[in-house]
Amino acid sequence: MDRQVDPGHFEGPLIPHGKGAFTVAVGGIAVRFEGLSEQLEAAALERYGPFLSDAPPAHKVHLCEGHQTYLDMAADQFLRLEEQRLSEGRTLVSHVFAAYRPDRTPREGLLRLSPATPEDMALGALENYLRWIVADLALTSRGFVLHAAGLVRGGLGFVFFGPSGAGKSTLAGMSGAYGLLSDDLVLIQERDGAFCASSTPFAGTLPQSHKRAGVFPLSGLYRLRQAPLHAVHSIRPLSLAVASVLACCPFVADPAARRDRLMPLVESCCAAVPVAELSFLKDPGFWDIL
Amino acid sequence: MYEDGKYKRNPDVSWRTIEGQAVLIHNRNSEVIVVNEVGTLIWERFDEGLESILRNIQETFEVSSIEAEEDARGFLDTLISAGALLPL
Repeated sequence: MDRQVDPGHFEGPLIPHGKGAFTVAVGGIAVRFEGLSEQLEAAALERYGPFLSDAPPAHKVHLCEGHQTYLDMAADQFLRLEEQRLSEGRTLVSHVFAAYRPDRTPREGLLRLSPATPEDMALGALENYLRWIVADLALTSRGFVLHAAGLVRGGLGFVFFGPSGAGKSTLAGMSGAYGLLSDDLVLIQERDGAFCASSTPFAGTLPQSHKRAGVFPLSGLYRLRQAPLHAVHSIRPLSLAVASVLACCPFVADPAARRDRLMPLVESCCAAVPVAELSFLKDPGFWDIL
Repeated sequence: MYEDGKYKRNPDVSWRTIEGQAVLIHNRNSEVIVVNEVGTLIWERFDEGLESILRNIQETFEVSSIEAEEDARGFLDTLISAGALLPL
């Protein structure tokens, strides 16, 4: 029988992997990682370069040595992940080689990393934690993460959302003339009554070096559809616009957060900015109709 | 097939009514359903039981009792298939 999340995953001595540390900020949400090995710290500093920060962290993560494995790994479930919600703001998450407890209170979490973790997967485990906690913390401050490519044109953020395979990276790759926020996940936040799009440091298909870190006023949300022509059609009524955006919001395991924070926030956003379906060919001519 | 009193709303489904249409999202797989006005009435008043729901559909949408029951039962079966309603 497959093993599931077990509170016992988080027990045992807290032995840091090393003395390495760094703070990364996403849309003003700063998260600090401590206890990294020298090697992992170097890899993290390289990946998150433009997003490193000295800001006081909203959340601090302690990396510690963990068990050999946490979940059974099947050939088709290499990236398997299990979550167990304990209460509002407290969740346990287990991967094959890592287990984490990203408590919202007292703003500190634990990431246990197996000594058997392959080198290239250690940074992946750290990034999974970062994705999870940024999505969670964003919701507490009028923000949500969206599976999307984000680009900056004329100082405005254009966000193109859709599931895997919708063409996010393709579209971003064709838009080299504009600043890249992300080709995978964009943070949408309400600031001073207006919605903004923020770049994120999460790995996508395009190189990190292409990204432009920052926060930009949101121009519109466009659901992607590859088609034999360029066209834009507004998504209405509002309920359909909200549904299409909600379907691309990841990492919200907490039903109460969905109900209480995410849904009304997405509704406000869809009421405030244009939400449309963008049919596009594989050429950058679609920018002419936006 | 739906049977009155034998189902409950799935607690893993979050929902919100937007401009008269309910949007349901399944928290485990992020599947989203947008429901029309009749379906929204049925979902919102689900706890009142089928008899009350049918009366409300007839009053609100001016349809016959037969049409109301066909619509309601068809929609409730759809909700069961979608995992939005669970057996008690």
